[in-house]
Amino acid sequence: MFLFLSLLLAIPLAGALIVAFIPLRHPGMLRASAIAHASIALLVSLGLWHWFDPAYNGMQLSERFTWNSRLGTYYALGIDGFSYPMVVLTTLLCLIALIASRHIQTGIKSYYALMLVLETAILGVFMAQDWAMFYLFWELTLVPLFFLISRWGGANRDAAAINFVLYTMGGSVFMLMSLLVLFDSSTNHTFEMSSIASGAQLLTPGTQLLLFSGFLVGFGVKIPLVPLHGWLPLAHVEAPSPVSILLSGILLKMGAYGLIRTAQMLPQAMMILQPYLAIAAFVGLLYGGLLAWRQQDLKRMVAYSSVSHMGVVILGISALNPTAMMGATMQMLAHGLVAGSLFLIIGLLYERTHTRNVTDYSSLIQVTPRFALFTTLALLAAMGLPGTAGFVAELLTLIGGYQRWGWIIVLLSMSVLISAAYAFRTIGRLFTGPVRPPMSQLSDLTPFELTATSLLAATTLLLGCYPDPVIRLMTTSVTTFSATFSSRF
Amino acid sequence: MANLAPWLAILLPWTTAFYLAMERVWLPVWHESREKRIGRVTLGTAFLALISLMMGDGYALIHGAPGTVVSGTWFISGPYLVPLALSLDGLGLALATIVAWISLLTIRFSIPYMHRETGFLRFFLILNLFIGAMQLIVLAGNAVLIFVGWEIAGVSSFLLIGYAFHRTTASRNANRAFITNRFGDAGLLFGIFSAFSWCGGVGWDQMAQSAPQVETLGATLLGVGFMTAALAKSAQIPFSPWIARAMDGPTPSSAIFYGSLMVHAGVVLTLRLQPILMQTPSVLHAIAVIGLLTALYGWVTALGQSDVKSSLIFATLSQTGLMFLWCGLGWFSLAAWHMGLHACFRAWQFLHAPSLMDDLDRPSPNAPHWLTRWRPLHTAVLHRFWLEHLGDAMMVAPTLKLANDIQVFEHRVVTPLTGLPAHANAISTLAQWQEQQSGSIPPMGYAVERSTGIAGRMIQGLASTLYAFEENMILKGGGSGLMEVLHIIGKRLMLIDSLLSQPRYLILMIAMTFVIIL
Repeated sequence: MFLFLSLLLAIPLAGALIVAFIPLRHPGMLRASAIAHASIALLVSLGLWHWFDPAYNGMQLSERFTWNSRLGTYYALGIDGFSYPMVVLTTLLCLIALIASRHIQTGIKSYYALMLVLETAILGVFMAQDWAMFYLFWELTLVPLFFLISRWGGANRDAAAINFVLYTMGGSVFMLMSLLVLFDSSTNHTFEMSSIASGAQLLTPGTQLLLFSGFLVGFGVKIPLVPLHGWLPLAHVEAPSPVSILLSGILLKMGAYGLIRTAQMLPQAMMILQPYLAIAAFVGLLYGGLLAWRQQDLKRMVAYSSVSHMGVVILGISALNPTAMMGATMQMLAHGLVAGSLFLIIGLLYERTHTRNVTDYSSLIQVTPRFALFTTLALLAAMGLPGTAGFVAELLTLIGGYQRWGWIIVLLSMSVLISAAYAFRTIGRLFTGPVRPPMSQLSDLTPFELTATSLLAATTLLLGCYPDPVIRLMTTSVTTFSATFSSRF
Repeated sequence: MANLAPWLAILLPWTTAFYLAMERVWLPVWHESREKRIGRVTLGTAFLALISLMMGDGYALIHGAPGTVVSGTWFISGPYLVPLALSLDGLGLALATIVAWISLLTIRFSIPYMHRETGFLRFFLILNLFIGAMQLIVLAGNAVLIFVGWEIAGVSSFLLIGYAFHRTTASRNANRAFITNRFGDAGLLFGIFSAFSWCGGVGWDQMAQSAPQVETLGATLLGVGFMTAALAKSAQIPFSPWIARAMDGPTPSSAIFYGSLMVHAGVVLTLRLQPILMQTPSVLHAIAVIGLLTALYGWVTALGQSDVKSSLIFATLSQTGLMFLWCGLGWFSLAAWHMGLHACFRAWQFLHAPSLMDDLDRPSPNAPHWLTRWRPLHTAVLHRFWLEHLGDAMMVAPTLKLANDIQVFEHRVVTPLTGLPAHANAISTLAQWQEQQSGSIPPMGYAVERSTGIAGRMIQGLASTLYAFEENMILKGGGSGLMEVLHIIGKRLMLIDSLLSQPRYLILMIAMTFVIIL
């Protein structure tokens, strides 16, 4: 068996090493080699589709080597219907982020190397089949992110970077404690996900609940669940735009992905917490949406809209039926694409205007029609217009949620309404109105930037119009997931 | 064969209309040579329609009229069934043949008459649309199908009155005629509804069968509904004024619409409803009175007209009034014969009207002596008995006032409550923008959260509360607050550390340790 997953993990890492050895005299070569490695990673991750069997129930393309036998840790990788789409999303958004990094001029060597290390770490999180490895990669994402924010970020970058790391580490501590208790209780004392899961079944529901709460704090910071989201507005605003793309596009999904894995591991606790998770999801939906509406800063608006959109994911997961679960996973993909393209476009606009205040903009449709097209498309996708990926996700979640909770699910529609309010407000403010002198000299998207934006837009539309292949990819995992719970209702 | 021919008569003109529409869309560049082709196509299809109807007639003569023929179901919803039925009895077939014949002649007349008109194609398109609709009116086997023809005929009438749409009067007259006709349409819909609920179906044959059992109330409601439609379409009193305004269209259209065909649609409907109307003497009496009044009105008014089309149309009114009178008196067959003959005669008169002045060797006759001598009547005739002003005072003015009041209510009460965009001081016109530029309207605020209406205000309040919570509790408390706490803890620890490094505290610590151990 060829080690595809290790190869995938190694490509960005190798890229980082190569970038580190290219002399600073050749910035173009540096950039090209980073983009080349990200592209190869994307191609390899897409190529995995050929070997991925959608009908197979369980981990595929698995690799397993003993790492430290005394600690019971393994180098174990594998993908299933939950992680494979996330892997593809990661490689895609990393490539987009690198393409959008043109304006980074200082310290480009370390910048590109850190970005590629970050890609490796994220891929590791999604592919790890051993909790120790998972935790390792989870923490490893913090290191490049800390430097990326604190070195290339905005005015308030130091506070943002520290804040981000402290929040995430604070959450990880609880996750680590839960992991250690689980390790202790597992019969053969390994960190392997499968053996820990079987060990967890023996615990009493009370203990399971405590352990789940530990994981929930760790992942809830990342997702983010509402009271734990304090790092998010600051980090998203202060981070350079390419990093914002990754933060919002993938880093948030790591939390949701971890929550899915935890729910598989501790189903009884999940059953007990189900209504509370749903309440948290509803609160996040409305809270994030209303605050997004209240923001003048475009990046903050997208950041808060992420809180709202991740509420859909949590809602879908907590409904515990296949339809809503499919909606949640689709929403993870859709939000990755939409938030990615919004941050990309806003970053490109900011490069040109040096303002993110929505009230400073006016009448861009005459000056920059391409910007207008892609921003409108992204914002419409953000509110889940039919024909975009968000619609499929929200519709599935709505149906699944209705099956579970009945009419309360109408709150989800409320949040869609609010998202329409800020989407149209933004479209109106950016593109219509009288022409203002400072906005009349902007240059439109360059062909290179156009490639990146249209790649994301095309994927969003493709997923919206023809979601079938991706749904088929995830069906087996989703039904297995919900079958764990349907027997307990 | 006999069933197919009438459908051909309805669909052939519509096919031609469709063809003309396609030609309009795909060949936007006009060339005069196209007139010839359009003329040939239109004439050819009209001729085909006539031939097929004649063959149908021949079949009916030999084998007897087929009566109501059902060719399928248009739609069915619960108890409501609308079949695609044509009533191919003597009346239907005869009238359809007359319609086909008159339309063929009118088309032949129009081709040279409309030569080099800018709206040549448009005229024939609408004319074909109308011919199909008229065929549907005379052939329809139930009230819903007649309604279809009724509406299409109404719309094409509107379009042809406004043929010269660049003239304000033409557009106004078209509107007036169409809106008056809408009264009748409402009546027809009410009649259809009543037919469903009282007779259990909308077919003429169904209504005839159930007529003896229908209660007087039902029959009266049904009769009132359908007769409102009939009176409006045939321009009887009080609906008469629209038809004089309809003279604004090209003369061939006046001939076919108001001189000979559409004006008789009301009579056709009345004839179809004969069995039901026989159950309601009150409605019949009302028709008779209205018919008589219209006949007198048309006759007297026609005498006072100075232009040929106006006098012709009022003469038409007096004749249709007589037809309604015959119906009201129960002489339905007489009304049918009268209608057929009048249609042919009046079509000829109208088509002849443009050349009438050439043929006359003396000026047009003045109003008769006895009329001019009776001043009050003459004044009334010249003002067409103030029917239009009456209508304005009774219907238009109150409607306008009501609309005004509603507008005020909307502006003062509903808009502030709901926060409709009208209130959101958005600029919708250039004039508003200029006013804003000159400073008469304050510019819109640049705050992002700007909402109106009760729901909007509530959401805005909620959002502001959440925003304050977010700023003070989550961001300050969690973000920078966290940093401050860390700083303070760090300072305290530094202090303790520095204290511990001093010898006296070190010795104290060691001493304390010994004490604890011992």
